[in-house]
Formats: sequence, structure tokens, C-alpha cells
Amino acid sequence: MAELVSLTIDGRTVQVPPGTLVIDAAKKIGVEVPAFCYYEGLSLQAACRMCLVEVEKMPKLMAGCTLPVAEGMVVRTETPTIAKARKSTLEFLLTNHPLDCPVCDKGGECELQDMVFRYGAGESRYTEIKHHVDEKQWSPVVYFDAPRCILCYRCVRICDEGMGVGALGVINRGVVSEIAPNKTDHLECDECGMCIDICPVGALTSGAYRYKTRPWEMQHVGTICTHCSNGCKTTLGVRNNEIMRGDNRDQSGVNGEFLCIKGRYAFDFYHHQERLQSPLVRKNGKLEPVSWKEALEAAAARLKAARDAGSKIGVIGSTRTSNEENFYLQKFARLGLGTNHIDHHRTGDVVTLLDALSGQKDALATTADLYEKPAIVVLGADLALEHPLLSFQIRANFRHHQARVYAVTEKPVREDKYAAAAIRCDAAGELAALETLREKLANEPELVIVFGDTVKGDAVRKLVAFGSSLGKPVKYVALVDYSNSRGAMDMGLVPELLPGYRPSGQTGMSAGEMVASGDLDMLYIVGANPLEGGQPLGGKPFVIVHEMFLTETAQAADIVFPASSAYEKNGTVTSVTGEVQQLKKAVQAMGTKPDLEILGLLVREMGLAAQIGPWTPDKVFQEIRETVPGYNMPLPVIATGGAVQTAPVNGRIEVDARPDLVRSSRDGLFTSGTLGRYSKVLNSVVEGRHHT
Amino acid sequence: MTKLYNEPSPLETRVLTKRFGLPNSASLDTYLATDGYVAIRKAIEMTQDDVINEVKASNLRGRGGAGFPTGMKWGFVPRSSPKPKYIVVNADESEPGTCKDRLLMEYDPHQLIEGMMIAGRAVDAKAGYIYIRGEYRYLIDIMDKAIAEAYQRGYLGKNLFGSDFSFDCYTHTGAGAYECGEESALLESLEGKRGVPRIRPPFPAVVGAWQCPTILNNVETFCAVPPIIRDGGAAFAALGVPKAGGTRLTCLSGHLNKPGVYELALGFPLDKMINEVGGGIPNGRKLKAFIPGGSSCPILTAAECEGLTMDYDSMANAKTMLGSGGVVVMDDTTDMVKVALRIMRFYAHESCGWCIPCREGTAWLRKILTRFVDGMGTKQDINLIGDLAHNMLGRTFCPLGDAAALPTISIVEKFRDEFEAYLARTTVSIPVQSDLPVLQPGM
Amino acid sequence: MANTITQIIESAAAVAKGMSVTFKEMMSPTVTENYPDEPPKFEERYRGAHVLQRDENGMEKCVACFLCAAACPANCIYIEAAENTDLVRISGGERYAKVYNIDYNRCIFCGYCVEACPTDAITHGHGFELASYNTSTLVYRKEDMLAPIPPGARPPVIASSGTAANGH
Repeated sequence: MAELVSLTIDGRTVQVPPGTLVIDAAKKIGVEVPAFCYYEGLSLQAACRMCLVEVEKMPKLMAGCTLPVAEGMVVRTETPTIAKARKSTLEFLLTNHPLDCPVCDKGGECELQDMVFRYGAGESRYTEIKHHVDEKQWSPVVYFDAPRCILCYRCVRICDEGMGVGALGVINRGVVSEIAPNKTDHLECDECGMCIDICPVGALTSGAYRYKTRPWEMQHVGTICTHCSNGCKTTLGVRNNEIMRGDNRDQSGVNGEFLCIKGRYAFDFYHHQERLQSPLVRKNGKLEPVSWKEALEAAAARLKAARDAGSKIGVIGSTRTSNEENFYLQKFARLGLGTNHIDHHRTGDVVTLLDALSGQKDALATTADLYEKPAIVVLGADLALEHPLLSFQIRANFRHHQARVYAVTEKPVREDKYAAAAIRCDAAGELAALETLREKLANEPELVIVFGDTVKGDAVRKLVAFGSSLGKPVKYVALVDYSNSRGAMDMGLVPELLPGYRPSGQTGMSAGEMVASGDLDMLYIVGANPLEGGQPLGGKPFVIVHEMFLTETAQAADIVFPASSAYEKNGTVTSVTGEVQQLKKAVQAMGTKPDLEILGLLVREMGLAAQIGPWTPDKVFQEIRETVPGYNMPLPVIATGGAVQTAPVNGRIEVDARPDLVRSSRDGLFTSGTLGRYSKVLNSVVEGRHHT
Repeated sequence: MTKLYNEPSPLETRVLTKRFGLPNSASLDTYLATDGYVAIRKAIEMTQDDVINEVKASNLRGRGGAGFPTGMKWGFVPRSSPKPKYIVVNADESEPGTCKDRLLMEYDPHQLIEGMMIAGRAVDAKAGYIYIRGEYRYLIDIMDKAIAEAYQRGYLGKNLFGSDFSFDCYTHTGAGAYECGEESALLESLEGKRGVPRIRPPFPAVVGAWQCPTILNNVETFCAVPPIIRDGGAAFAALGVPKAGGTRLTCLSGHLNKPGVYELALGFPLDKMINEVGGGIPNGRKLKAFIPGGSSCPILTAAECEGLTMDYDSMANAKTMLGSGGVVVMDDTTDMVKVALRIMRFYAHESCGWCIPCREGTAWLRKILTRFVDGMGTKQDINLIGDLAHNMLGRTFCPLGDAAALPTISIVEKFRDEFEAYLARTTVSIPVQSDLPVLQPGM
Repeated sequence: MANTITQIIESAAAVAKGMSVTFKEMMSPTVTENYPDEPPKFEERYRGAHVLQRDENGMEKCVACFLCAAACPANCIYIEAAENTDLVRISGGERYAKVYNIDYNRCIFCGYCVEACPTDAITHGHGFELASYNTSTLVYRKEDMLAPIPPGARPPVIASSGTAANGH
């Protein structure tokens, strides 16, 4: 490492690496140099002129955001001259700014408001006519109010650099310059809303949130997005038991500043009008709403009878329920119902990967690794659509650390644009194609390999062998689909394995077999929709379902319990990279209960409470920590909203865990399994696409 | 083609313009007959350092406006860099009052090409781009013709004059933006992007076109290079004053009997330039204000012009700049408030919109000045105009903001009484609708 | 004896003094109000029940900025905001108060809400007869507080959401 440069900022000495910008050096000692256009991680702009600082021996004020430090530099960030300069810059900014703070969505959390409050004049000297442009709607979720815009170009840069989309640009020049979308009047982009989030003023507003409330009126609940497996923290703004918006307010999650359309907007399924709010029991061939008591008694009686009669009971778990719920469900199935027919929708071959890596240390990549490691291989997945956070991390890695990215995929992907090598291959040919990169990869000091569902079973073993043969540290990510797909596997929602990948020593039917089976007596389904697409059940089992909506599966059920969504409960989930994070309850949907509570009440009703154990999330998590290898993580980190990577096994997994069943749904940016159907925002974006 | 726009003056020192007025002056034959492509042959024989040293010895300073020593600029180019190097000619001549580069390209395009080649030889560049102002459409045809001729006759291309020196030359047109005369914005535009300035440092000499080392100079600067190499830097230096060598093409405009472009040695007396070269002010009127080098310079009053000479130091002493050679002479009938408005209209229209002080400041000043001229000014406005211009000065991303602020400050400070006289005018009781076009998107 | 005479004189003087006050007050104008037989009189700046003002076009001035609710020390103002559309246009700004409640169980009539209002939408009226036997009637809704549409004003454009206006 090069020698540190020492300089003085506001009378305090600070040592930073050469090339550091004054604004960053100041931040290091807690001095905030105000700026609109400067945004950490994005290219420099130096357009807003707010960060002007005084540097000794320099004739005029210097822009702190582009000035690299020099040995012995003496910088002052707050002097009367600087305050006057900032005041005048703000005066210029406010000339054409509409000052409609009372109606502006940004009012209360607006950087321009803060800055004017700090430096600005109380009165305006501007008496001319303001330049006005009408507000525009660019997409179902993005509105643009040009007069409010201060042209900091943050949106243009985050879209181009951060997202790799480049949907925004600038038209006209001078005072009539305006941010404009690529298609003149509408956006064709990821609809991620990053531009809205990054906008320091209220120029870009969210179609889902606008004019609904004000920032200080909400409580902000940081929880984990329930859609894909990337485990982004989304902070829900809640008012009167209603989620107003999702954003990444404190940027404290593994996703930092990132959120995609699902994390930002697709919480709206929770108050869809078709949401189930009462238990349903089939009476005379029709599902009728009944009381919780009646439904629980009916379900308990049926389950008890079936168990006592030694009937064949199948259990299908969810890829979105919490670890606690999954753990409790498998315990309920195995101990309470005495069945080993337990499964879930497997979307990535984690089991084979863990087995193949047995004995290796630190071979599972974290989300941060994708940003930090010098080389990334993407195998058979379109990350930008299927795993937007991972894609964002890799792009940032390329931008900031010049990482070499190798894309080996069937179709062109967004990574191609900056990839060191982009190779096309057919769905099974990834490994052969990878072999052609051997020489290049062998020269990399370190490597992260991200692979999709086409690499499974033996292919995973071959991949790991390939990685090991390079003789370099290699880390892996097996891609899975949903928010707790990984957790469902870790918690033993498969016949072959108990929690922590211990062999169960028993066989059992897979989810598909249970659905197709002709002789199943009972089917207990939690938060899954195996009948999606409308295929009928093979036999005539008695079906009990926990669901939020009347899905195909729920319609075929005999008893339906209205379940809470991930935003309505506490617990933990495990992301695609094995990072465990906490869900926090934001709202309560009337009539629903978390799956864990439903299971607990059922257990109590069946008289099994003593056997299966308590059913509060913290108690169950404590049991997981004590019994499941790799889950004994420090509670304070989890409880304060941090993420800890789990290493559930480090040794051979003795049984074959049916890699042939692995199948990803390949949800894109605007779909999310069954859940996506009930999100108005996702549907409106998809519909908008069809119309144009 | 050979007809000149103005009669030459006997007081001129004709070095760069020596071919002006010759029959077919733009043709390669005429050029060859008058010492053409002699300097490049000489430069190929010389070492690269010698070429740069010769330019340094000539005391040639950039003719675009900033007046940075050209030899020093060339010396900044890292010749050992593995990247290709480029020569870029700034022919985006847009400074109000300046019209010299067009003549150099119109009458003597090969001199420019040869200048680029010498620069290419000095820093190992193999390609040169001439970025021509969009409004100079006809010049592109002239330049393209000259380039084609040079290729045809073996003066451009591979292994020139039997040496290993190769050079290619291209023209590129701007789309009509003053901002693209700023070197880094020009490079952005040349690369096909929006013409906004880049963060400097790094300067183009190190990181220029396509992130490669680039020599970027004004047309006149490049045109001065062949005479320097041909006749020696010292001879060129001797024409001027100690710290600045050679001649300047001075564009005389405004209230003069004989406006035109004249090549005058640096250090030429200002008084003599107006009264003898320019033929004096018509109808015996008196000098009121003087713009020494394009509208970006602080304006001088008649009193301040006393005893000045046309060179960098003399102008700096008078707290203005030699600028781009666009001299504007204003007589005592000139309405300085309208001058201020005219200048500000230009800058408000040409501001690229990148940084806040320039984008909002120029537009605001234009609105105030328009209102003032329309007879609706107030006393506070006069102070406000000066204050806003001061707030722009030195705080903008590129020099365009300074260029708008400097003349405005000088007018408000030096001709404040004219602003006050506007307030006293009672004739304008009904606000006159200004005929100025309102800036609209797309304009 | 002399003592008795003195006492009589002093008593008479005291009565005279007392009566002088009485007679003086009889002459001066009366301050007692005959409420409820007659309406009471208020100082101009009396802080009574709130009035939500309309502008000259009859549009509501309130743009639902929530600043009154934020300023309220008793936390008695409840607002739900909604966006004005071409079909439903309630206020002059982009946003209006769909719900605006003041809970007079809690209101302390401090006037902070009036001071906070950036559009002069909420003002104190002179209404004071708020007493009730049932506290649930003390939550005033927007309709209870809105000023009448000024005479001659164009009423706000309110179409039912079913009407197809211009395609939104």
C-alpha cells in the first residue's frame, strides 16, 4: 500500500491514501462537506458547486468532490466565504425551483430543504418568471417534475453506471436542460426506482407513494424483501397499519443502496382485495368462511385421525416462509404427524454444492464477495433479471475494482457489456464452455463462481473439481429462487435430510410425487402452489393449505388457513448466499396469522405442544441455533438487522438429495411466482409493456 | 475564392496570412509554391525534443484565448505512453467578435494541415481531427478538399516523404454549441457525446480524446507552427514582445471605418490599431468602450485604453485579457446596458446547463437585464446584477461562467451611470415587449 | 358622646363612598353578556373551533402537507392525503386532504396548527359551543369544519370516478 498523505481539514489532521478526494477525507474525520451531485460510488460530476472548500495557497474556492488530497494541504470547509458561496449557489438553484414543499413528496427528507435551512437566504431576490414544465409520467412507477430538478445527474448516473441500463439522459441545454428518458416520453428499463431513491429533491417521484403521506408521519420498519432470494433489506414506511412505501432508507442491508422494483414496490400484494382474511372450510363442496376455532378443530381432528390410522400424509413447505416456520413445519411433520413425505420447490442444487465442498473452508461467497473479489464467473443465469442485487454487486465491482467478469450463458446477458469474456452455450454446455476459459481463470488470483439451476448434480461436482484444479481460492454461489429457498433446504424440508443436512435415514415422496400420487390420504401445504398451472391432484387426499390468496392449490383445499405475509411477521430468512437476516413485522393484515402461529395452534389443538415445543419465533430460533449446525450465529448481529453467513455443513452429505428435482422458475424482474400476480405495481408495469 | 473580406493594411506583419490574396491560395500548388510543406520535412529530420524546443523558443502562446505557452503544453504529452496520441484542432470558433480561424482555413488550409503534422511528429501522433464549428459548414468542404488533395499527392498518409512518419487527418463538425469550444467539451463532442466539459485535471495533454494523450490547440496556433519550424523559433519570437512571440490575427469590429482581420505583431499599440489599422471611428465620434479579445473579456473604458499595447501582459495590467483576438470598438453612441444584455443573452443561450451557477445565473441575469432594458428596472437591480455576476465568478465548472460574469461586472462597475440613467427615463411608461426570442427547448 | 357622633359621620361617609361606586357603575356601559339569550362577542383573534378555508374559486386551501399535524402538541389532527386528478379536483395543489379530523377531546386551542399552515388553510373560527355528553362526537371531520363555498365561485370540478373524462 502506498504511503498515506496527511492533510489538515478544519484544523484536524487526517491521513488518507493518495488520490483520496477532499470530500472523502473530510468524511473520514466526520466533517460533512455538503454536496448534491457527489454520490459515493458514482462517477464525479462537480456540477452542483456546493462542496466548495477553501484550500490554503489556492486562489479560489475548490470543489472538494474533485480535488485530490496533497501532502500538507490545509483545507477549511466552513468559513464565512464558503457559507456565502453556498448561499449564492442555493439562491441560483431556487430561482427556477417551484418551492412547493408543502405538496412535494420529498418535503421533510429533501436535501435541498436541508441545505437551504443550513445556508440559504430567508428571502429570495428572484422576482422574474420561473421556468415551468409540466409534470410527466414516464412509467407506472416513475413521475418526473422537471421544475423541481436541480440537474445533479445522480439519476442519470445510477441508471447508467449502477444499473447498467442507461435509460436516462439530458436534453436541451442551459436553463432549459431537462432529464429525459431514452424513449423520449417513457422509460424502458428495470423500473427499479433507483433514480427516485437517489434524487436529492422531489423531481422524481414514485407512482406508488406519491401524495400519500409525509416522511415524518411514517414508522420505518427494516425487514427483508419477500420476493427473490437476494435478501435485500427493504425499509417499509408504515402509517396506520398500512405500508406506504418501501425503500432502503438507512442502506444498512447487504444491498446497500440497491433495491429493485420488487423490493421497492411489490409489497402491495399484502392488501390485495383477494387476500384471504378468514379460515375456509369446505362444506357441501364449497369453501365457506369459518371461525379460526372451527377450522383449527376440524384440521386437528382430521390430522389426528389420519396419523392414528397410519395414513399416508404429505407435507409441502414454502420457499418464502421463515426459517422458524420451516423448522417447525418439518418437526411437526416428522414428530407430530410421523411422516417423512416432506418437500418444497427446490430451485438450486445447494445440497450437492455443500457436499462437493466438504472439507473446504470459506468456499461460499457472500453478497459482499461479489463486490470485492477480483474475478466473477456467471454460469447459466441472467443475473440482471433473475438476481438483480447480485448483478448490481458485480457491476459495481467492475466499476470500482475493474473486476474481470466472465459470462457463460445461453442468451446474451447484461454482463456481456463489460465482461472480460462472454461465451454463449446451450443449457447443458456450461462446463464445456467454461473449460475454454481455463487459462484465463487460472491467472486470476481469486474467483467467485455463480451458477444457476442448469448446473446440478454431477455438473456441480465437476464444477467444483474444475474450481479446485485452478489452484486458486474459489468461492461459489448456487442460485435459488425465493426469499427463503435456501432456508427451506437448510431447515430440512426434504425427505432425505434433516435440518443442517443430516441424513434422515428415511425415504419420502417429493412434492411432485405427492401431487401426482394416487394413494395419498392427506396433503398439508404451507405457502406453496404446487398446482400452479392447473394440473389436478393425482388422488383424493384431504388438503389443508396455508395461503394468502385463493391460489389453484387453495381452491383445491378442504381447509384453508389465511396466512400472514413476510411483512406481517417476525423471524429469520436465509438468502441465496446463505446470509441469515431478520424479518420484522411491519403491519397486521386483519384475520391472518403467521404460519408459525397457525402450526402452533394446531399443535396445541392436537395435544402435541409438549412434544413439538413452543412456537414463538424467538424460541424456535433459539432451538435452531442450538440444534442446526451453522445457525449458531451471534444474536446481537441478527437482532440489530445485520446479516451473518451460515455454514451449515462441512463434511460429506451421505445421501443423494435428488438434484434431478431442481428446477428454477426463472422469475424475471416483473414476476415473482404466485405472489407476483397479486402485485398491482408489477402487473401495471407488465401491462404497460404490452401496450407499447 | 481569392477575394479577401477586407483590404490588408500596410501596418500588418504578414506571417500566417502571407498567402491571403494569392490566386488559388487554398490549393496545394499555391501552398507548395510558397514554402509549403517545407517545415514538416525539416521537422522529420529533427528530433522530437528539438521540435518542441523550437516551439518553446518561439514564445508561441495559445491563440484560443487562454494564452497558455504552446511548447510547454506539447511537452506535457507523455510520449512514452503506450496509448495512441492524437492531434485535435479547435476550429469551433464561436467567441463573439472573433472571425480569424475561418479565414485561416478558407485561404490557407494546408498551413493548418502542416501545423498538425508537425505537432503529430513532435508527440508521435498518427491522427489529427479538425473540429469545425457547425455553422462553418462551408469550411468543412474546403478542408475536406484540401485533405483529399494532400492524400492524393502524398502529403498525408503512410510513410510520408520517405520517412517512417505517417499522419491521417479528419474533419469533424460540431452541432452549434459555444461550449464545445472549451477543450474538454470539444473532446466529449468529438467522441460523440453530449458537449459538456470534463473534470480537469487530468488535462487533455495526458488524458484527452478517447482517454489518450492529445494535443489540442486553436487553428491559429497550429498555423503558426510551420513558419516557426521553417524560419526558426527565435525569428518568430522576435516579431513579438519578450514573453509572447509572433503575431496575432486581430479581428477588428464595431464602430470602425475599416473593420476586418489584420495580422498584427504582438505588442502593437492599441491606439494605432484603432486609428490607423482600423481607420478610426466613423464620423469623428469618440471611443467609449473597448473589448480586447472577444466578449468574455472585461470591457475597458476609453480612459483605460490609454497607452495600452496588444499583448498579454499589457492587457493583464489593465485587468482584462488579450483573449481570442476579437476586438470590438464601441463609440459614444453605444448603450452599454444593451451591450450587457446582448452579451448575457449570448451566454444564457450558450450555457450548457452542467453546473448551477452558470446555468441559473446567466438565465437570471438575462431576465433582469431584459427587464431593465424594457424600462422596468429598479435601483436594487443594479447591485443585484453585479452581485450575481460576482457569485458566478470563479465558482463555475468551466470558464463559460467566468466569461459571462467578467464583462457584466466590468460594465456594471464602469458604466453604472448608464444603468442609473435608465431608471430616470420616464419615456418608457408602458413596458415595451422585448423582441428578444425567449429561450425555448430546441432552440 | 363625641365618639358616637364621629361613628355616625364615618358610617355615613362610608355609605356615601360605597354608593358613589355603585352610582358610577350604573352610569358606565355594561360588560356582562346575556349569553345564551344573546350571541356572545369575540375579540378578532379569539381561538375557537377551527375553520378549513377555501380559496376564491371554492377550492379547498388545504393541500394535506401534514404540517399542522406535526406542529400539534396534543396530536389531535389526523389527515389522510390523496392526489387531485382530472376527475376529482378538490384543492389547488397536487394533493388534498381526503380525511381531515380534529379531535376536540384533545385540542388545546394553542393555534400552532394555524401558524404552521403554509397555505392559510386552517384558521381558528369563533365557534366555542363544543361541549357534548358524548366524547365520540368531539372528533370533527373535514365536513364539519369546511368554510362554505364563497358566493359566485366556480365549484370545484368533481366528477364521479366512473365518468370517463380524458382517458386517465
